[in-house]
Amino acid sequence: MDDLFAPPDNEWRAVSAALATMRRVLLLGVGCLVLVVIVVGCLLLSAPAWLVVPLVLFGVALVTCGWIVIGRNARWWGYAERDEDLYIKHGALFRKLVVVPYGRMQYVDVHAGPLEQLFKIASVHLHTASPGTSAVIPGLRADEAARLRDRLTSLGETQAAGL
Amino acid sequence: MTEHPDPPGRSYKRLSPLTPLVRSAILVVAVVASSWNDVLRGDLGPLGWVLLAMLVAGAAYGTASWFRTKYWIEADELRVDTGVISRQSRRIRVDRLQGIDIVQPFVARLLGLAELRMDVAGGGSREGSLAFLPLREAHDLRATLLARRDAVRAGHPAGTEDPRTEAEQRTAPPAPEQVVARLDLGMLVVSLLLSPETGAFLVSAAFFIVVFATFGGVGGAAGVVSLVVGLGLTQFRKLSAYYDFTVAQTAAGLQVRRGLFDRSTQTITLARVQGVVISEPLLWRGFGWARLDVAVAGYASGSADGSKPSASTVLPVGPRPLVMWLARHLLQASGGPDPDAVALAAPPVRARWVAPWVRRFLAAGIGEDLVVSRAGLLSRRTHVVPHARVQSLRLHQGPWQRRLGLADVLVDSPPGPVHVRARHRDVREARALLDEAGVRSRAARSL
Repeated sequence: MDDLFAPPDNEWRAVSAALATMRRVLLLGVGCLVLVVIVVGCLLLSAPAWLVVPLVLFGVALVTCGWIVIGRNARWWGYAERDEDLYIKHGALFRKLVVVPYGRMQYVDVHAGPLEQLFKIASVHLHTASPGTSAVIPGLRADEAARLRDRLTSLGETQAAGL
Repeated sequence: MTEHPDPPGRSYKRLSPLTPLVRSAILVVAVVASSWNDVLRGDLGPLGWVLLAMLVAGAAYGTASWFRTKYWIEADELRVDTGVISRQSRRIRVDRLQGIDIVQPFVARLLGLAELRMDVAGGGSREGSLAFLPLREAHDLRATLLARRDAVRAGHPAGTEDPRTEAEQRTAPPAPEQVVARLDLGMLVVSLLLSPETGAFLVSAAFFIVVFATFGGVGGAAGVVSLVVGLGLTQFRKLSAYYDFTVAQTAAGLQVRRGLFDRSTQTITLARVQGVVISEPLLWRGFGWARLDVAVAGYASGSADGSKPSASTVLPVGPRPLVMWLARHLLQASGGPDPDAVALAAPPVRARWVAPWVRRFLAAGIGEDLVVSRAGLLSRRTHVVPHARVQSLRLHQGPWQRRLGLADVLVDSPPGPVHVRARHRDVREARALLDEAGVRSRAARSL
C-alpha cells in the first residue's frame, strides 16, 4: 500500500467479506447460465467440438478473471471515520479516495437489495450538494450500516454547514 | 381546498389580465401565419380552423386560469393560489427567499409585463414564479418581498408586523445601486467575432473551400453557406442575450441585467456564491479580455464553455482587471481573496506520457482562502473555489498514472460551471494538496 492512499490516521476499516462472496455467487450464477445456454445451443445446432471447447474454456477463463477481480476490489474498499470527515477509498485498478466532511452531508441512504439482504449486508450512500461526490460504502454488515448511518446523521446535524 | 380558506376580501391580487395573451402569443402568430392566405381569400383552411379552435380553447383556459390565480402576502409568507381543475396553494416563506429575478420575454416586454422568479433554497428551480405582472408592480413586489425578508431575518419573529406599514414599504425608495460595469456593444461584437466558434468556423470553411476548389460542384458552396448561417444564428443568440449587459451593486447583492428582446434581471446573493470561472479564449488574450462565470447554489444550469448564453454569466467579456475585481467582489463572503495571488504550479514533466498536448496548459494551486486550477489552450479557464465552499474532495489514480506516480485531485462543488481539478500531480504533492484542502476547508467552515 503506497503513501497516496494511506489511511488518514490509524487504519482503514475493511468492508464485510460477504460482499466478495455475494458478488462471486452472482458471477458463478450468471456464468453457469451462460454456459448452459452455450452448450444447449451448440447441441441443438450440432456445432463441431472444435468450436464448443474453446468457447467453454473462454467462458471459464472470464469467470476466473472476474473471481480474482472481485476479490481484489473487495480488498480495496476501506473507510475511516474521523472527527469531522469520512474517508472512503476503493478501486484496485482505478483507485479513488473521497473525503466527505460531515457538515456537508445532505442526507444518508442505506440500501439493501434482495440479494444483499440474503447475505445480511447493506450499502451506505452519502449525499452532499454536489452530484460529483460519489461516496458509497457497499457491503457493510447490516448492524454496522445502521450504526454508521446513525453516527453520520447525528454528526451531520451538529456540524451542519449547509452550502 | 378547504384547508386554505379564501383570503379576506380586498387583500389578494391577480396577475395582469394580459397574461393569457402573452402565454398564447406563439399560437396567435401561428394561426395568423398559417392561414393568412386563406383569410385573404375569405375562408379559413382546415388547418386554420383547427388552430383557431385550439386558440379559443386556450384562451378560455387561460382566462379561467388567470381568474383563479391569486397572490398575497400573509404573515411572512407569499401565498399563490393557482389551478383551474385541481387547485394548488403554494406558500413561499419570505425568509427562505434567496433572490428574485425579473424576466421579460419579448412579447411580455412589448406589453410592459414581467415575470417574477423566486429562488427558494432547496426548492425546484422554478418553484416560485409569478407570470405575468406589470413591470412596475413586479419591481414593487420584489422590493417589498426583499424588505420583508430582511426584516424577518433581522429578528422580527413570524407574525409580528414590521414597524413600517405595507404602503410605506412599497414606496420606500429602492436601495441606491451603483453600476459597476456596462458592456459596450462594440466590444461585445468584437468578442463574439473572436470567439473559439469563429475559429472553428474559419477552419471548416477553409476545408469546404478547398473541397470546392479541387472537385468543383456546389457541395462546397452549400457547406459554406450553411456554416455561415449556423454561426450567424448562434452568435446572434448570444448577442441578443448579452445586449446591454449591466452589472450593478445593490444592497441585496450583485445585480445583472441583460437582453435585447428578452430582458432579464437577476441578483446574485454574495453569500451563495460557490466559486467562479475566469475564461480567456486565445484570441481575446491579445486584448487582455476575459469572461466571468459564477456558480451560485440553486442555479443548476450553466456551463463555462460559453457556447450557450447562460444565467451563470456575470460578465460575457471585459478587461481582465475588471473581471478580476468582480471575481474578488463575488468571493467577498470568503474575505475577498485574489485568485491571481494563488501560486499555480504545472504538473511534473513526466505527465506528458498521460497528457501529451495539454500538460503545459494545466496548473493548480492552493492558497490561504482558495483552491484554484487552470486548464485549456484555446480557451484558458481558471476555476476558483473558496475553501469555505468545498463540498467534498476526491483523489483519483488510473493504472497509467500509478506507473508514473501521478494522481488527480478533484474538488466537488454544487452543480454549476465550476470544477476545480488538479490533474496529473505528483503523488506526494497530490496527497498533501488533499490534506491541506481538507484542513483549510474545515477551518473555514467552523468560522
